[in-house]
Amino acid sequence: MADHIDGPRSIGDPSIDLTDLFAFTSPENPARTVLAADVFPSAGVSAMFSNVVNHAIVVRRVSVAGLGDGAAFKADDAEIRFSCRFSTLEAAPDGSAPVQRGTLTCPDGQVVRFVVHDEAGAATPDGAVRVYAGLRSDPFNLPWLLGGGEMKPFANLLEHDNVLCIVVDFDTVHVLAPARGSLFGVIAETTPLPRPGSFVGHEPPRYDWIGKPEQTNMRLNTSAFPDAPDLRDLWNQQTPFAVAPDLRPLFHERLVDSLTVWDQRDGKRDWTDAAIKASANVFLDDFLLFDVAKPITDSSHFEIERSTLNGTAYQTGGGRTLDANCIDILLNWTVNRDQGPVLKGGAAGPTQPGMKRFPYLAPPNRQMQVVAETVDLPAPPDQVWALVGPFGGMWHPLIAKVVLTGTGTGQLRSIETVDGKQIIERLEAMDDALRSYRYGGVTGIQASDYTGTLSVSPSGAGCSVQWRVQYLADGQPDIIIKTIVSTLQKVGLGSLKKRFDAAK
Amino acid sequence: MTAEGALGLEFPQATDGAIALNNHMSARQHAWSRFWQAPERPGLAEYIAEQEGMALEFYSDFQALDRLDALAGQLAASGAAASRVALIRAQAASAAHRFAQARQHLTEARACGAETAPVARLVLGIDQACGAHLDEVLVQRRAIAAATNKVEDQIPLGALLADLGEYDEADAVYRRALSSYQDVSPFALAWVCFQLGVLWGETAPTGQSIRAMRWYERALAYLPCYVKARVHLSELYQACGRPVLARSLLLPALPSGDPEVAWRLGDVLNQLGESSEAEAMLATAQAGFEHLLAAHLLAFADHAAEFYAGSGNDAGKASALARINLANRPTRRARALVESTAHSDSRK
Repeated sequence: MADHIDGPRSIGDPSIDLTDLFAFTSPENPARTVLAADVFPSAGVSAMFSNVVNHAIVVRRVSVAGLGDGAAFKADDAEIRFSCRFSTLEAAPDGSAPVQRGTLTCPDGQVVRFVVHDEAGAATPDGAVRVYAGLRSDPFNLPWLLGGGEMKPFANLLEHDNVLCIVVDFDTVHVLAPARGSLFGVIAETTPLPRPGSFVGHEPPRYDWIGKPEQTNMRLNTSAFPDAPDLRDLWNQQTPFAVAPDLRPLFHERLVDSLTVWDQRDGKRDWTDAAIKASANVFLDDFLLFDVAKPITDSSHFEIERSTLNGTAYQTGGGRTLDANCIDILLNWTVNRDQGPVLKGGAAGPTQPGMKRFPYLAPPNRQMQVVAETVDLPAPPDQVWALVGPFGGMWHPLIAKVVLTGTGTGQLRSIETVDGKQIIERLEAMDDALRSYRYGGVTGIQASDYTGTLSVSPSGAGCSVQWRVQYLADGQPDIIIKTIVSTLQKVGLGSLKKRFDAAK
Repeated sequence: MTAEGALGLEFPQATDGAIALNNHMSARQHAWSRFWQAPERPGLAEYIAEQEGMALEFYSDFQALDRLDALAGQLAASGAAASRVALIRAQAASAAHRFAQARQHLTEARACGAETAPVARLVLGIDQACGAHLDEVLVQRRAIAAATNKVEDQIPLGALLADLGEYDEADAVYRRALSSYQDVSPFALAWVCFQLGVLWGETAPTGQSIRAMRWYERALAYLPCYVKARVHLSELYQACGRPVLARSLLLPALPSGDPEVAWRLGDVLNQLGESSEAEAMLATAQAGFEHLLAAHLLAFADHAAEFYAGSGNDAGKASALARINLANRPTRRARALVESTAHSDSRK
C-alpha cells in the first residue's frame, strides 16, 4: 500500500491515515491541474471524515539543485496550501443517511463549502478551484507480496477497496503561476485542529503526511531489520519540506540500509554505494514532484527523480496519475535500477481505472451482499445430502420444475418457480465428500457476481444445512433481491425442517 | 466544575462518536464483503477479527461471537494456511471464553509454524483472563507496555494491576494512556475511561461512585454508543436515587440486544414503581440470557449468574452458572461470585 496503515498509531483510527497522493493534468481540461489525497484505507460505504482533523494538500515550487550522485531538489519557502475541514454529522430531514459538510480554504483565502459525497463537488465563484470530498474506489494497485523478504507477483491486495478522497482541481496558471517555474513538489498532511482555549498540550503536530508513495511502509520500515526501531510515527510527525536537521542523519541511514536491501532483493547489485546515498537523499526530501509544463502520463511517475539521479535532464511532468502502476515503477527502480528484467506485478491495474471527468477517481466499489440461512435437522447428514445434494433435485416447495443441461461442472439448471419465474444457474463446484456444492447465477435474478453455496455438515446427533448466497445488487434496490433470496432460503430450509422433524 | 477539572486531566480531542461509530460499522461490513470475495486475502480475516472484537466490546454485539466462528470456518474452507486458521479459531474461542479450546488451537498454530508474536499475545490474554501465572503475566505486560507505549497495551496492564489490588498504579497507567494518546479515534479513549470507571466504581474495595460516574460519563462523551458504559453508569445513577436519569441512559441501548440492558432497565422501572413494565423487561432479560447461554455458555455464565442471583430470582441456577464460570476461569472474581451465589442459594 502506498502509505496504507503506515504506523502503529494510524491503526487506531484510519480516518487520519493518508494512503495516497496524486498530481496530474486534468483529463477533462489540460489547462487545469488535479491534486488528490486519500485517507482511510478500506473505508466502508458510509465512511465520513474526522471532524477534528485538518486535511491539507501543500505545494511548493521546486528547483533541481544537483544531478547524478549529487542529485537534489530544493523547495521554496512559499506554500500554496489547500485545507479541508469537516463537520460532525447532520441528521437528514427525511430520515435518510446523515450528511457531512466540508469547507475548503484555498491558497488565496477563498472558502468553498461542499457536501461530502456530492459528486458534483463545489467551486469558487470564478471557477478557478473546484473540490470534491467523499468515498471512491481505491485507485491504488498493490499487486505484490513483499513481506518477509519475498517479492512475489499477486492479485491486487486492495481489490474492491474504497477510500475517502479529497480532490482539488484548479486552473494551473491562476493558482501555480508556472511562468515563475513549472516544477513543484506536493505533500498531503493530516494535522490536529487547534482547540479553543487549550493549554499547550500533548497533541502531535501532525498525524500523518505523504509525499512519494511507499516512503514509510517500503523504505523506512523494512522487514530486513526486525530489531530496528519503527521510525514511521517519528517520520509522520516531521514537518514536510523541513525534516528536522538533527533527525535527517537517522532517517538517511535507514533509507540507505533499506535501499541497499531492496537493491539486492533480486540477488544482484545494480546500485553503487554512492548512488544509493544519492537516492536516499532524494527520498529524504519527500515530496511528489510534478512539472506542469511537461506531459504527465501513466508512465511518467518518478521520471523526474530517476533522470536527475541518472545525471540527465528530466523529460516528463512526473507526477502521479490514478492509473500509474507506481509499485512496479518503484520496484524496477529500486531493485534493478531499470536495467531489467522488468518486474511486473500480478494485476494490471486498480479495481477500477480513473475517470476522464471530475472527480476523476472511480465511484466506490459496491459491497458484496450475503444472505445466509441455516437449519439444524434431526437426521444423518448423508440422508439429507441424498435429498438436497443433486443439482437438479426437486425438494424445494417453491420450485415447480427443473431442467438440467449438460453434466458435471458447468451444468446448467433451468428452474421454473411456482409463480412462473425462470432462473438459470450454473454448477461451479460439487464436493460429495464434504456434502457441498457451489453455483453461480446466469439469469433470473438481477444481480452480478451471484454465487450460492449449499452444504450439509454434521451437527450433534443430526446435521446442519447452510445455504448462503452472495451477490452485487445490480439494477434493483438491494432489498428486493434480498427478499427474493431470503424467501427462497427460508421456505426451502423450512420445508426440510418439516420433512425431517416429521420423520423423526 | 467540568469533568476535566474533576478528574484532573485535559482530555485528548477525538473524532465525534457518531462519525467513529458509522465509520467502524461500515468498514467492518465492507471488510466482510471483501472477505466473501477473496477469503484468503492476506491480513483480511485478521482485520475482521479485530473489528468484531471491537463490536463486542463497544456495542455489546454478541452476534460477533457467531460471526467470529463463521470467519474461522470460512477461512478454513478457503484453503488458507493452517497456522492462520488456527490463530483465528483461537481468537474466536477466546472471545467466547472457550479458553481450553483456544489453547488447543494455539498449540495447533505453533505446530503449523505460526509466528510467535501473535501466539504469545493470545496466550498472555488467555492467562490473564483465567488468572493463570499472573506474576509472569504482569512482568510481560509491563515490558510490552513500556516498549510500545500503545494504549491497547496499557489497558490490559491497568486491568491486571487492578485485579491484583494495585489500584493506584492501575489508575496511573490508565491516566498515562490518556495523556500520551496521540490519535483521534474515540474508541481507545472511551475504553480507558470505562476501565477507570470500573476501577473506582467496582474493583477498588472502597467504591468511589462519584469518581466512577465521572469516568463513565467521559467514556460516553467520547462514544455515546458504548453499551457497557451506559449499563454501569445507570447502576450508579440508580444506586444514588436518580432512576429517571438511569432510564434515559438505558433506553437508547435497548436495541443492542444485550440482556444486561433489559435487566438494569427492569430494576430501574421497579424503582420508578412501573412494575408491570419492569416485569416485562426482566422477562426480556431472562430470555436474552437464556438465548446467549444456549449459544455461548462460557461467555455469559458469569453475567447470567449475577442476573439469576439478583432480579432473575433463581439462586440455584445462579450458583450452578457461577461454578461453571469458576471451572472455566479460576480467577479471584470468579471465586467471589461462587461464594456470593452459594450464599444467596443457601438463604433460599
